[in-house]
Amino acid sequence: MQEKKIKNKIIKRVKTNFKDARDRNDFKYNRLDFSVKKEIIPSVLFYLKDEMGFIHLSHISCVDWLEEGELEVVFILWSPEEKIKVFVRTRLDRDNPVMDNLDMIWRQANTYERELREMYGIQFTGLEAPDEFILEDWQGPPPMRRDFDTEAYSNETYFHRPGREDAEDVRETITKRSGEDIPDFAKKYSR
Amino acid sequence: MINDKNSQKIVDFISNWARKHSIWVLGYGTGCGAIEIPPTMTSRYDAERLGIRGAATPRQADVLLITGYLTTKTLKRVIRVYEQMQDPKYVVGFGSCTINGGMYYDSYNTINVLDKYLPVDVYINGCMPRPEAVLSGFGKLQQLIGEGKANGATKYKENLEWYRANQKKVIPNWVMPEYNW
Amino acid sequence: MREKATTLYFGPQHPGITGNMMIRLKVEGDTIVKATIEVGYLHRGFEKLQEKRNWLQSFTLLCRFCVPEPDPVEESYARAVELLEGREVPERAKYIRVMMLELARMGAYMLWYGGQNASLGLYTMGQWSVGDRNYILDLFEELTGGRIYHMYIWPGGVRRDLPEGFADKVLRTMDYFEKRLKDYDDLMFSSTIFRKRTQGIGIIPKEKAVEWGVVGPVLRGSGIHSDIRIDDPYEVYDKLDFIVPTEEGGDIWSRALVRRQEVRQSIHIIRQVIEKMPQGEYYNRIPNPLKWALPKGDAYARTEAVRGEVGMYIVSDGSIHPRRTHFRGAAYVHAITLLENLLVGENISDVAAIMNSLGTCPPEIER
Repeated sequence: MQEKKIKNKIIKRVKTNFKDARDRNDFKYNRLDFSVKKEIIPSVLFYLKDEMGFIHLSHISCVDWLEEGELEVVFILWSPEEKIKVFVRTRLDRDNPVMDNLDMIWRQANTYERELREMYGIQFTGLEAPDEFILEDWQGPPPMRRDFDTEAYSNETYFHRPGREDAEDVRETITKRSGEDIPDFAKKYSR
Repeated sequence: MINDKNSQKIVDFISNWARKHSIWVLGYGTGCGAIEIPPTMTSRYDAERLGIRGAATPRQADVLLITGYLTTKTLKRVIRVYEQMQDPKYVVGFGSCTINGGMYYDSYNTINVLDKYLPVDVYINGCMPRPEAVLSGFGKLQQLIGEGKANGATKYKENLEWYRANQKKVIPNWVMPEYNW
Repeated sequence: MREKATTLYFGPQHPGITGNMMIRLKVEGDTIVKATIEVGYLHRGFEKLQEKRNWLQSFTLLCRFCVPEPDPVEESYARAVELLEGREVPERAKYIRVMMLELARMGAYMLWYGGQNASLGLYTMGQWSVGDRNYILDLFEELTGGRIYHMYIWPGGVRRDLPEGFADKVLRTMDYFEKRLKDYDDLMFSSTIFRKRTQGIGIIPKEKAVEWGVVGPVLRGSGIHSDIRIDDPYEVYDKLDFIVPTEEGGDIWSRALVRRQEVRQSIHIIRQVIEKMPQGEYYNRIPNPLKWALPKGDAYARTEAVRGEVGMYIVSDGSIHPRRTHFRGAAYVHAITLLENLLVGENISDVAAIMNSLGTCPPEIER
C-alpha cells in the first residue's frame, strides 16, 4: 500500500514536469517505467536525481530493435530513500543514433557510454574518451548490433577444429582409444 | 668439447633431467583458468614440490601457460611474450577453449585453435581443469621433456613463416619487433 | 628541479589476483601523476553469444562472467527471469540459494585475503586462505559437481536438493573457519606492515563515494550504510538477522576491516539458514527448455556480491532466445573511472593494493 502511494506520487510529479512522458505502473514489485523523447533525457535524469532522490545509477543498457529500425537506450536508477527502481527509456534512430553525453550527472556513465559507442555505434555528443575501449583494431560493424553475425565472422576469421559437428559421445571415443571399458556406473549416462 | 654421439646423448639426458624438475611457469594467466592456479600452488596441492613455480618475467620462465581462451588483443601480447622467452621453452594449453574454442566457438573475438598460432606441447582439457588435472598435465610435460620430445620451440622456429601468416591473419595491425634467433 | 614524467606499463599480465588489464601510469619519481586504464583483454562477447542460445543454455555462459564468485551472477539472472515470467520459487529453494550465495561470498573473501596480502608482498596469508578455500570448494563440488562453476541456481529454484548429511558438513566447515579466522587476524590485522601499508592509502571520501557511484564493501568502507540485502531484500534475507558493518576511514584498511567482519556475518547467516531451512520442494519445474519462451518485456535484478552490486538486465521479445542480456558488474564502476582518479598522487608500490581493495575484476567489465 505504502509502495503504491509512493509510486503514484513519483508518477504525478514526473508527469507534471514532463508532459509527454509515458509511464507504466503495472509491476508487482518496486519498479516504475517512463518512456521519454531523447531530447529531454538529460533534464529528466537531472530532475530524478536532484529533486526525487534517485541518486544511484544502476545501469545503462541498449537494445537493438532491428525490425523497427530503432535502438532503445534504458537507464535504471535506484532511490535509496524510497526503495524504488526507475527505468527511463528512449528510442534512437538506428541509422543515425546520436545522444547527449551524461557523464556530468553520474561520473560512471562515462564507462557505459564508451561501451555503447563501441558495441552499438551510438554517438554521444561531447563524450571525452579514447575511441577504443574493449576491441582493438576492429574493422567490422559494431558487434552487438543484431545484423552482425558472430558465427559467420568466426568461421571466416578463425580456424575450427573438426569434430564439433557430429556431437560424438566423448566417453566412447576415449574408451575406444585407451582400450578400457566404460564402468558400470557411468553406462547409464552414456547415450 | 663433445663430438661423438654417445656423449651428446648423455649430456642431453642430464640436461633434460634437470629441466624437467625445475619448471618455472610464467604467471600470465590469460583467462578464467587462472582461478585454479592459486589452489594448485598453495598448500593442498602444492605444485612446488614437483619443481613447478611461478616466474615473474618471460625471460626467466620455461613454460607459457595459456589459461583459457585468447582474445585477439591478448594473442598479440602472448606472441610477444612467447618470443621474448628463452630456450628451453614450452607452451601448455589449459582448458577446452584453447583446444577447440570450447563454449566460445562462435565468438567474434576469441581464437579457437591455439596450436595454429603457437606450438603447444601439452593440452589440459576441461572447463575448468581441476588442480589434479593441472598436475597431471605438468606430469605429462615432464615426461615429454625427459624423453626430449617437447620440441615445440624448434617446431616454431622451423615453421615460423606458417605461424606468422596465421598470426597476421587475425591481428590486423602488426607492430611487433621481428626476432631472428 | 622538476622531474621528467616516465610512462610505466602495469599489466596486461595478471597484476595481482585480479585479472588481465593494463594501467598506463605516468610517474614522476615514484608518484603517479596520471593513470589510464586499458581493458579488453578478456572480451568474449557473451551477450552476443547469448542471442543464439536459449534461455537455459545461457546459463553455461553466465557463470563465466566473474570467475572468483559466479553465484551472484546466476542468482541475478535467475531472479530476472523469474520476475519477467512471474514464476514462484519454493521456500526451501530460497534458503538453499542464500546458503549458496553466502558460501560463495566466503570463498571470494578467502581469495581476497590472499590477494590483498600478496599485493603487499605478504605471501603467507595466501597460502593459508587459498588453501582453506578448498574446503568451501569441496562443499560446492559435493552439492553441484563443480569446484568453480556451479550452474546451480536456476530459474524456478535450484538444480538439486541437498545431499544427505550436507548440512552437518557445512556446519563443521563453518566451525573450522571460525577458528581459522582468528589466526588470520593474528597474521594480517595485527601485522604492523599491513597496517602501515594500508592506512591512509587510496582514500575515497564519503561525498566522493556517492558521486562516483561506488557500491558494496567499498562504499561501506567510506562510512555509508548501504547493502542490497537490506535495502532491496531478495530471497529470504529479510527474515535473517545480520548486521552490515561500516567503517569511517575510506582507505584500504577500512575496507579490509569491513570485509573482515562480513566473513563473520556470512558464517552467522549460513548457520541461521541451516537452522531455519524448511522441508519441501526445491524446484518449480520449468517447461521443456528447448521450447521455453518468456513473455515480452524486460526485467532487472540485482544481487549483493563481494564487489558490490551485481545486476542482470534481460529483454525478451517473446521468443526462446534472449533478445538482450546485459550484465552490470561492480568493477565496471570501480575499476575504470574511479581507479583512474584514485591512483593520482599515490605511490607505484600501492597500485596493486588499491586495485585489490576495490575488488577489481576485469572479466566482468569486458564480458
